[in-house]
Amino acid sequence: MAMSNTSEGLNWNLILGIGLVLMLLTAFSLPSLVVFSVGLLPTGVALIIDRSDQRTGTFCVGGMNLCGVFPYVMKLWTGKHTLTAAMEIISDVLSLLIMYGAAGFGWMIFLTIPPVIATFLSIIAQTRVKVLRATQQEIIVAWGPEVANAKQTDTDRDASSSNEG
Amino acid sequence: MAELPLETEETASDLPEGLIPPEIGDDGDAEPVETLQGQVAPASYGPVVLRERYLIDPGKPIVELDTPSAKAYVVEDGRDLSSQLYGLVCTPGLPVRLNDIKALKIGHIDNILPIIDWDSIYWPALGQKTVVVVFVRPLGGRVTDKLAQKEIKINEYDMPQRVIAPLADALEKLSNMDQAYRAIRPDNLLFLDERMEEIVLGPHVTAPAGYDQPVLLEPLDRAMAQSAGRGIGDARDDIYALGVTIVLLLLGYNPVAKMKDDELLKARLEHGSYMTICGSARIPMQLIEPLRGMLADDASERWDFNEISNWLTGQKINHLKKRLPDRSETYFKFRSMKHYSAQSLAWHFAKHPNDAVMAINTEEFQIWMTRGLDEPEKAEAIYSAVHAVKFNADSYQGTDDYLVAQATAIMDPHGPIRYKGLAFMPDGYGAMLASEWIRNSNQQPAGEVLSHDICALWYDAQPKMTKELLDSQMVINQLRSVLAIRDPGYGLERVLYEGNPGISCQSPYVAKDGVVLIEHLLPALDNAANSVDTSVQPVDGHVAAFVAARFDEDIQPHLKAMASGKADTSILGTLSLLAFMQSTLRTPDVLGLSSWIGGLLGPAINAYHNRQTREELERDIPRLVRKGSLPELVNLINDPAKRQEDKEGFTACCAEWLDAEVEIRDIEDAGEERLNKAEQSGQQAAAMISIFIALTVITVLIIAEIL
Repeated sequence: MAMSNTSEGLNWNLILGIGLVLMLLTAFSLPSLVVFSVGLLPTGVALIIDRSDQRTGTFCVGGMNLCGVFPYVMKLWTGKHTLTAAMEIISDVLSLLIMYGAAGFGWMIFLTIPPVIATFLSIIAQTRVKVLRATQQEIIVAWGPEVANAKQTDTDRDASSSNEG
Repeated sequence: MAELPLETEETASDLPEGLIPPEIGDDGDAEPVETLQGQVAPASYGPVVLRERYLIDPGKPIVELDTPSAKAYVVEDGRDLSSQLYGLVCTPGLPVRLNDIKALKIGHIDNILPIIDWDSIYWPALGQKTVVVVFVRPLGGRVTDKLAQKEIKINEYDMPQRVIAPLADALEKLSNMDQAYRAIRPDNLLFLDERMEEIVLGPHVTAPAGYDQPVLLEPLDRAMAQSAGRGIGDARDDIYALGVTIVLLLLGYNPVAKMKDDELLKARLEHGSYMTICGSARIPMQLIEPLRGMLADDASERWDFNEISNWLTGQKINHLKKRLPDRSETYFKFRSMKHYSAQSLAWHFAKHPNDAVMAINTEEFQIWMTRGLDEPEKAEAIYSAVHAVKFNADSYQGTDDYLVAQATAIMDPHGPIRYKGLAFMPDGYGAMLASEWIRNSNQQPAGEVLSHDICALWYDAQPKMTKELLDSQMVINQLRSVLAIRDPGYGLERVLYEGNPGISCQSPYVAKDGVVLIEHLLPALDNAANSVDTSVQPVDGHVAAFVAARFDEDIQPHLKAMASGKADTSILGTLSLLAFMQSTLRTPDVLGLSSWIGGLLGPAINAYHNRQTREELERDIPRLVRKGSLPELVNLINDPAKRQEDKEGFTACCAEWLDAEVEIRDIEDAGEERLNKAEQSGQQAAAMISIFIALTVITVLIIAEIL
């Protein structure tokens, strides 16, 4: 029997994965862990409040939040990879503004793009309906209203009789 | 017995309205009556041309050559002015013997008046077309006229070689062609030449077989039938008529002239025809034996051509045993008339069916049949029939008419079939139906004869089924099967035309056009288009049946289409049938008919779904109508490729319309769900954008750092 990955709503695989990453980062890159921990706080908040199945909000916020955090992590990796340097980054208001601003931008994307897409799709559907109605009208003009009244069985019968004929 | 000169028989009755009146009496055995006075056209009418050659002058009647059913007129041959011809104008509605006309036109038989030509032409005095037959004019006139005027004398010594031999020879040749003359009577013997040496049999084709014959000249069984139902008959019937004719010519008078038909029949039934006719006459010794042989009431005992030939050549002949008809010592009284024979009683029963049923149910009748006639089997059969009637009280088999038909058939199996006042021989059914329908407008009893299978009662009563009987039974059964089908081209109309090859089409559209041949039908319909209601189809029940009976091609698919309940299929069936006829018969353009049927093609045009195709057809039809070509019209309206294309197009468009409708409903019905899906899609898109930006930024930063 396959073991369930979830128990009482907790994804233990995810927790174990995150725990493993945190342990590795703690062991080998504590400064990076400090910057990620502080910088990706909006993503964590988004993860908590986003109850959708696909976690699209989390991805939106997370993706942009990472954009804001990654330059500073790169700075650590390419410069002084020390806890002090990490502390300087997370204590710098501008750095925090950039990180959290990027997260906010992600949230803004999450709020604005779906309605735009929905409106766009609705317009496409209405246009399609108009095209179909026009096609139906053309058919009726060419073949008469009985086209609309003919049931599918009738058309099937017509087809079979014409084949016989 | 009373003696009246022969010429007194020829009493012509003048009839109004140009039609032969219905037969008098309920028994249908009244003698045929003279034809219309209206046929004698005033001199103001110009000559009528037959086949662009023979000029028939309505102002020049030849009264002495009239027949009971046709009037004679002078005919001139436009190509041979020296020829002496005359024409007989037939009575409209009376079936002519078309097969005999065709046969005799092709092959002349000595001692039968030669037929030169015939056609159905417009006769101005009648105001309609009718059949006119052109004969060689008999220059010597009627034999009876010459005898009465004492211009000639035929005694018992002249009779064999001058009269009997040539006429018997002609009848035998006719018999060899499977035809019977059935019109031999003294006033129908003519001298072909002016010197009065060659006697010929006069016209016999202008009326059904035996129709013009007095009761005296018909053998006993056929004499009891109504004049139109006496049947085609055979050589034995001709020999009987020849025998009576000899007697009348010899005597120079009719020994039974004062007897009414019923009295004459009863006397013949009770005493035999020979005894009745010749009993009190002075018949020369040398002619007694042949006349007894020729007048034998039992057809199987009657002389045939061999016997006549043997007698004429002096060879040994079979002497007929003198035998009285089967009769009882005691009589059975029915309606105050004493009957000594079953045939006589059956004949009387048929005249009074209600009284007959009461008589049949009496014990006296059973006793008389059993003991008086010594016919216990027949008595038992009638007793069974009476009981069967009681069991079938709710159906036609429980009616008095049915019982009387069965009882009379059992009592007189050689006599005619009798039902509801009709009396006919099986081979006379067709002409009887024509007479009842066209002239009496009372076809129902004749129709019931087939639908109720009355003939089967008669066949079941036959002591022996000969080949002739089997053949006639097969014909009747074929007519029954035709009657049973109710589609166009079948029914009683088809029976009428199958049973009467020489009858004209009786459709109201063409009745006055005297359409006897199928080739004349389309021109007649074309002509009718100008004067009839063209909102109904030109092929009515009569036209369809006439075509089915006369057209020698397979028209079943057309008839089947016509029988369809769908208006478009029906009119297409009609059009295709008429087009097929025009094409096969090579009929010239029929502008009126094509216009008539073109106006009825609406349903056929509307059978096309495509509006453009309809418009094209409506535009093209008037053009083809003006050409008068029905085949082109049918090719246009019923083009299989076009119809196939239309059907396939319609099917495809129905499917396309339906698909569109389904899709529209899907879109419209989605509503909230579609919005949710759109929002989800938007969120997914936002996530994708965000991740894409993140990956791009990270990649750029890494690459920038590396570089």
